[in-house]
Amino acid sequence: MTRITVGPFNRVEGDLEVRLDIDSGRVARAEVTAPLYRGFEQILEGRPPLDALVIAPRICGICSVSQSIAAAAALRQAMGVVAAPNGVLATNIAHAAENAADHLTHFYIFFMPDFAREAYASHPWHGAAAERFTATKGSAAREALPARARLLEIMGVIAGKWPHSLAFQPGGTTRAIELGERVRLNAIAAAFRGFLERVVFADKLEHVLALSTPDELDRWRDGRGGDFAQFLRIADALDLARLGPGPGLLMSFGAYHDADGARFRAGLRSSTGTIDALPSDQITEDVSHAWMRETSLDPAESRTEPDADKTDAYSWCKAPRLAGEPVEVGAMARQAVHGQALITALLADSGSNVRNRVIARLIETAQLAVSIEGWIKALRLNEPFCETSGEAADGNYVGLVEAARGSLGHWLAVRSGRIARYQIIAPTSWNFSPRDAAGIAGPLEQALVGTEVGDAGARAVSIQHVVRSFDPCMVCTAH
Amino acid sequence: MGATTETFYSVIRRQGITRRSFHKFCSLTATSLGLGPLASARIANALETKPRTPVIWMHGLECTCCSESFIRSAHPLVKDVVLSMISLDYDDTIMAAAGQQAEEILEETRAKYKGQYILAVEGNPPLNEGGMFCIDGGKPFVEKLKVMAEDAMAIIAWGACASWGCVQAAKPNPTQATPIDKVITNKPIIKVPGCPPIAEVMTGVVTFITTFGKLPELDRQGRPKMFYSQRIHDKCYRRPHFDAGQFVEEWDDEAARKGYCLYKMGCKGPTTYNACSTVRWNGGVSFPIQSGHGCIGCSEDGFWDKGSFYDRLTTIKQFGIERNADQVGMVAAGTVGAAVAAHAAVTAVKRLATKRDDANAKQDH
Repeated sequence: MTRITVGPFNRVEGDLEVRLDIDSGRVARAEVTAPLYRGFEQILEGRPPLDALVIAPRICGICSVSQSIAAAAALRQAMGVVAAPNGVLATNIAHAAENAADHLTHFYIFFMPDFAREAYASHPWHGAAAERFTATKGSAAREALPARARLLEIMGVIAGKWPHSLAFQPGGTTRAIELGERVRLNAIAAAFRGFLERVVFADKLEHVLALSTPDELDRWRDGRGGDFAQFLRIADALDLARLGPGPGLLMSFGAYHDADGARFRAGLRSSTGTIDALPSDQITEDVSHAWMRETSLDPAESRTEPDADKTDAYSWCKAPRLAGEPVEVGAMARQAVHGQALITALLADSGSNVRNRVIARLIETAQLAVSIEGWIKALRLNEPFCETSGEAADGNYVGLVEAARGSLGHWLAVRSGRIARYQIIAPTSWNFSPRDAAGIAGPLEQALVGTEVGDAGARAVSIQHVVRSFDPCMVCTAH
Repeated sequence: MGATTETFYSVIRRQGITRRSFHKFCSLTATSLGLGPLASARIANALETKPRTPVIWMHGLECTCCSESFIRSAHPLVKDVVLSMISLDYDDTIMAAAGQQAEEILEETRAKYKGQYILAVEGNPPLNEGGMFCIDGGKPFVEKLKVMAEDAMAIIAWGACASWGCVQAAKPNPTQATPIDKVITNKPIIKVPGCPPIAEVMTGVVTFITTFGKLPELDRQGRPKMFYSQRIHDKCYRRPHFDAGQFVEEWDDEAARKGYCLYKMGCKGPTTYNACSTVRWNGGVSFPIQSGHGCIGCSEDGFWDKGSFYDRLTTIKQFGIERNADQVGMVAAGTVGAAVAAHAAVTAVKRLATKRDDANAKQDH
């Protein structure tokens, strides 16, 4: 048995370290460390509630809209206001743009470059992968980055600036979209669809979204151009469906609410495939292996008190659990809970794994491109974008949303018009959690066990695939 | 990585960029830096003959918003030229290498380009608990920062974190997040504040330094004058409404739809030095005030601890159109009317801001 440390990890958002015990060329045990802590929950205490709209988004430079709307959702309850329908739509458009942009970043900048590594030089697909995906030099990034930047001009129209936008308020959005701006939004949405259909899928989005079984996906892939099909071929060649199994439970808080309800439903999917209502009151955060003092397990009651000298701890991340169980979150969980046909079929076929996580992200990107078009059409320009909200009343509130990487919750307590407590559980807090008091490992810690590393040790590319398949956002994780 | 005589031009030619694109880059760069037409030829000449300047990009305690802004720059050819060709010799967010290999690249670049490289720092070091709050490669970030700074030609402090501390340094500053210039005192430091800074400002600064091999002219606070010499308010397209006393009272009210001034919604444009109202955001599309929200002054030192960002002035009655700005301000600030000739002089604005903060502080505590 040997112990190795993988890290600092590059091409993930923020800092990450993973310690692995290796036995006979396989991972026997993993410990995941979030080595960065800033103290946002401590900073928010005692401030006026609305300050959360400025401070909370600054937790993360790539999921800032998600953080904004989670704060706005909690404040909406505190102020007893219902957001203007236009504001909800405008928020959906911006949020979807951020999440789709994150999925593209993950695919092109973070995940695919690993296939360009020398370790794969003997594989027949390597030459094409290296030309396309080599980090900072491959041809793909030169197409994807401008397409992504163009998509994010949506943020300019709706939110002024991004990251760290200010337009998302409890009552809606501060900017009323004008006719000319709607035209501009349409043009951006059309350009994004064009990029996806030309470069990512090499097919119409509707055709991609109509795929519903693994067999159909295989047939669709054969002989097709585009980066998604290229990934599918590599995934099969390397059998990525066997790599990085998740813990079983998949969760989604539900996302993109509009007049028809949630675009992606909320719920909990068991390992046997049954989908139940979300028992959000059973969410706890355990600190037995975090550098934190114990306060309460309930995020509505707990506080964040760092304790850098704690001996059993190995991460700044607390361990979120649902009814005591670790849970995987992310695009695959979101699509599985929603019942999306292809993802449901893939999960039934091979379960939660590296390949299916990546497929789910790209399928979701196609869905979002279509949804954005619909939301732009649904805007009624002469009606309000923001309702007036009153003062925040004393009480406990919770804002539950879905960020690109999964379920994000803000638990807010207001006392005497001030923030008394503020607790945040981010997607990667779930996926990259440390062990809990019962010794149960977090989802990534479980997913890494059994991974073959051969003689490569810390440089084993299989480890990189498993870790990056979750698309970690480490700055959100420990905040 | 090539020999030390490698030029910027040879690097981009190797990357397949045409000579025509190169000249386009030079002329647009000259324009975006506010330099005259002759500067284009000077830039081209410099990039063809002078050794390229390596950039090492490090991340401390931060949220990566600076990188996120940077990679979406609408600056000409940034996707090719700045990102992959000026060569961010080490950037742990986008580079290929990981772990020990990445650390080796860092060490190699430091040794090879001793005294020649630019150290670009995103985020800042937390000093509490011996730096435990930001561990990078098994060491506190502050140690890595000091080592890398020692052999740098100059340091770019990206964003409000590196420049001033930013929200992570907000009370009670749990980790003692500390700006770069409080830790590194023996190197030239250029501050590029903002949370995040504007992409085109970032690429403009990098291009200037790598082109001319020196820092641009800085103001007393260490910010490049070319981008931080004017207040948001000075070039705000809603300024006529401020002067006319026409203000937004609530998000998305009639006044908001007419594009009136956001001063009463807590806008800090009058005291904030940045290029948002001229360069704008997301490819020049917009900026916070254009989205109907006031400026929060995110490029100013201490913006995070100056009272509520929203500062709702609920005692104000609906204004008549074209009311005198002094009258409006007098009610708004609830202090001396003279202070509200805010647009007339910087000092008046500062005084106003201070008084309003005092007023808040009294309400708050």
